[in-house]
Amino acid sequence: MKRWLTLAAFAVVAGCLFLAGARMRPFGAPRFDLMDRYFNAWSQKEVAANNVVTAIVFDYRGYDTLGEATVLFVAVVGVTLILRRIKK
Amino acid sequence: MSVVVRTIARILAPVILVFGGYVILHGHLTPGGGFQGGAVAASAVALVLVAFGAPAVKRLKAPFSVLEDLGGVAFVVLGFLGLGFTFFANSLAGMGSLFGTPVPPGPNPGYLNTAGTLPLMNWAVGLKVIGGLGTVLVLFGLVGRDDDR
Amino acid sequence: MTIWAVLQILILILIVVGSVLAVWLKDLLASVIALGGSSLLLSLEFYLLQAPDVAIAEAGVGAALTTAIFVLAIRKTQRKEEE
Repeated sequence: MKRWLTLAAFAVVAGCLFLAGARMRPFGAPRFDLMDRYFNAWSQKEVAANNVVTAIVFDYRGYDTLGEATVLFVAVVGVTLILRRIKK
Repeated sequence: MSVVVRTIARILAPVILVFGGYVILHGHLTPGGGFQGGAVAASAVALVLVAFGAPAVKRLKAPFSVLEDLGGVAFVVLGFLGLGFTFFANSLAGMGSLFGTPVPPGPNPGYLNTAGTLPLMNWAVGLKVIGGLGTVLVLFGLVGRDDDR
Repeated sequence: MTIWAVLQILILILIVVGSVLAVWLKDLLASVIALGGSSLLLSLEFYLLQAPDVAIAEAGVGAALTTAIFVLAIRKTQRKEEE
C-alpha cells in the first residue's frame, strides 16, 4: 500500500513536470516582455550601467537586495548566537 | 590536510581573492556583482580553512564580523543617499562627480567611472557577503573537536 | 539537433549521474565530491543557457562553499557511513 502510494505520487509529479516541459515556450521568447524591452532600452540612460542585471538588482529592485542583505545578516547573527559559547 | 593540499592552497588562494575583487569591482560592466564576487572571495577563505584548519584562520585576526556590519551599514546609507527623490534612487548617475560619467547608448567597451552608486553598493554588498560567509565558516570550523585524519 | 543541444543533454545526464552517486556512495567524502561536481556541471549548464550571473553564484556557493562546509563537518565526525 505504501509502495503504491509512493509510486502514484512519483507518477503524478513526473507527469506534471513533463507536461510543463512539453508546453514550454521556445528559448528567449517569453510571453510577457514589456519590462524586458523597457530595461534594455532605458537602463543605459537612467542608471548609466552597461550591466542590465546589476542595474535591475541594485537600482530598479533595490528593496529586494535590501531584503537579501537582511536575510544574510539574520543568518550570520543566528549562527554567531548559537555557536559563540562553544568556541574556546 | 596533506602537504599537496597546503601547497596548492597557498598558490591558489591569492588568485581566487583577486578574482573575487575583480568581479566586485567590475560589477556594473561585466556579469557578476556584489554577491557573486563576495561568494568567490569567501570560497578562498573556505579553501584556506579546509587546508590549514580553523585555528590558523582564527590566528590571522581577519575582522570578518566587522566587515559584515560595515557592509550592511554602508548599503543602507547609500540607499538613504537618494532620499531627495526616492529611497534607493541613483543620485550619482550622470552627475559628473564620483562615478558620474554618462555612458553612450548602444554597445560600448565599458568605462569604469560610470553607474553612480552601483559600484559603491557592489562593494558594500561584497564586503557584507565576504564578512558574513567568513564568520559562518570560521565558527563552523571552530566548533567541536577536530581529529585530522 | 545541433551540437549545443547534444552538449546540454550530456551535461544534464552527467548531473543526474552525479546526484545518484552522491546518494549511493558509502564513503561520505567521495559523496561530497560527487555533489560538488554535479553542482559545477549545473553552473556550466547555467552558463550555456546565457545566465552568467547565476553561473558565478552557483559556482561560488554551490560548488565551493557547500563542499567546504561538508568537508569540515565530515572532518569533525566520521568518514564512513554506518550500515
